[in-house]
Amino acid sequence: MADELRVDSGALIFATLADVYISSGMIDEAISILNDGLARNPNYHLAKIMLGRAYYLKGECDKAIEILEPIYDVVKEDETANLCLSICYHKQGDHAQAMRFCEAVLRINPDNSEALKLLKEMTPERSPEPQVEVTAPEAPAPAAVVVEQPTIAVPLEAVVPAEPLPAGLQETVVETEAPVHEISELDIREIPEKTPEVESMPLAALDRPARRLLDLDSVKRVFISTKDGLLIKNYSKGDNDVEAMCASVAAICLDVDESFRMLKRGGLTRCIIEKPDETICVMAVGDSLLTVTTRIEAKPGLVFVYAHKIIEEIEEILR
Amino acid sequence: MKIGELIKIPKVLGAGLVGEDGFIIDGRSTYEYDTEKLGAIAARVINRIKQSLNAQDASAIIYTQDNVLLLRESTEGIVFVMCQKDANVGLVRIRLSKVARAPEVS
Repeated sequence: MADELRVDSGALIFATLADVYISSGMIDEAISILNDGLARNPNYHLAKIMLGRAYYLKGECDKAIEILEPIYDVVKEDETANLCLSICYHKQGDHAQAMRFCEAVLRINPDNSEALKLLKEMTPERSPEPQVEVTAPEAPAPAAVVVEQPTIAVPLEAVVPAEPLPAGLQETVVETEAPVHEISELDIREIPEKTPEVESMPLAALDRPARRLLDLDSVKRVFISTKDGLLIKNYSKGDNDVEAMCASVAAICLDVDESFRMLKRGGLTRCIIEKPDETICVMAVGDSLLTVTTRIEAKPGLVFVYAHKIIEEIEEILR
Repeated sequence: MKIGELIKIPKVLGAGLVGEDGFIIDGRSTYEYDTEKLGAIAARVINRIKQSLNAQDASAIIYTQDNVLLLRESTEGIVFVMCQKDANVGLVRIRLSKVARAPEVS
């Protein structure tokens, strides 16, 4: 999949932006951009995983499953895809499938806290039946399962003494003493709103690099926008017309891009616009634009040197 | 300084003076670049900057994957220089400013 990312940098761009949208809670926007991107890159599986996750975060588990299941054979080693499927099936009440994908997550990453939590939740749920039940998922299970016998769940108080358990299952029985009364709470509970992936890359992570630019004396404002002129994040306080500036910068960049397409000389990478009262430096970061406005006396070279480092940092965060 | 002399700067691929309507007034370029196209692009970009940012006497330096295009408004029109991305953009910018102050048609 990493190879696919390297080859299709265009796809990476829309997926990166979608990830930003998801991180900032703009799920509908993320779904929209992912659907658009997938129309151009239908085989870009990472974007499909993100789309599945977006639908799951939106609460549309049916759609998430519909997107992730057909590509599962290709992405079966992906932690996010397995976690999404596990949570979605759990929410739909299909515990066998939920368990299957949960096991796959734990096989990939035994420390995945969401999967461990889910497994803990599902274990008592599966124990109201008073007999020993060993279920196997219909689809082939992952080759090496870290959590041994996770589908065996028998509460001690529910076991009829006249029916002794098979010797090999004794340990499992001891481990499943969790109270059964938790089931009702679990059923009511919403799926976790924040997955670890979302928590690990909030948009706030971009603050630090942007603040470093703002620390330069000559820098007036810094903001990130989409190439079509929508503001993603503004780092300048008390700046009311930043959205108008976003639209203007995007319009200029779009014109430049179109013009250079005519020349077949590649697209815009960065741009300095000098006005009598200020200088605007615009840099393309994937499918977004980082705009830095400086005082007229600022040295554009200095801004670019700083901005270049920051762009690398931003790309790393978004990746 | 004459506009045609801008082309003598190392790694400059084309330079010229274009009216706001995009018609070329003067210009020179290497064989693979069409001065008229460059002029049209220069006029389009400067007009867009003026329109979008409400800026008079705007100038711009545009970096693409392969080239750098420098644009500056002058009394006679828009002066533009297209160079390779590894050109000395600082030097080109200084020369462009000189030309833009009083452009001389060759």
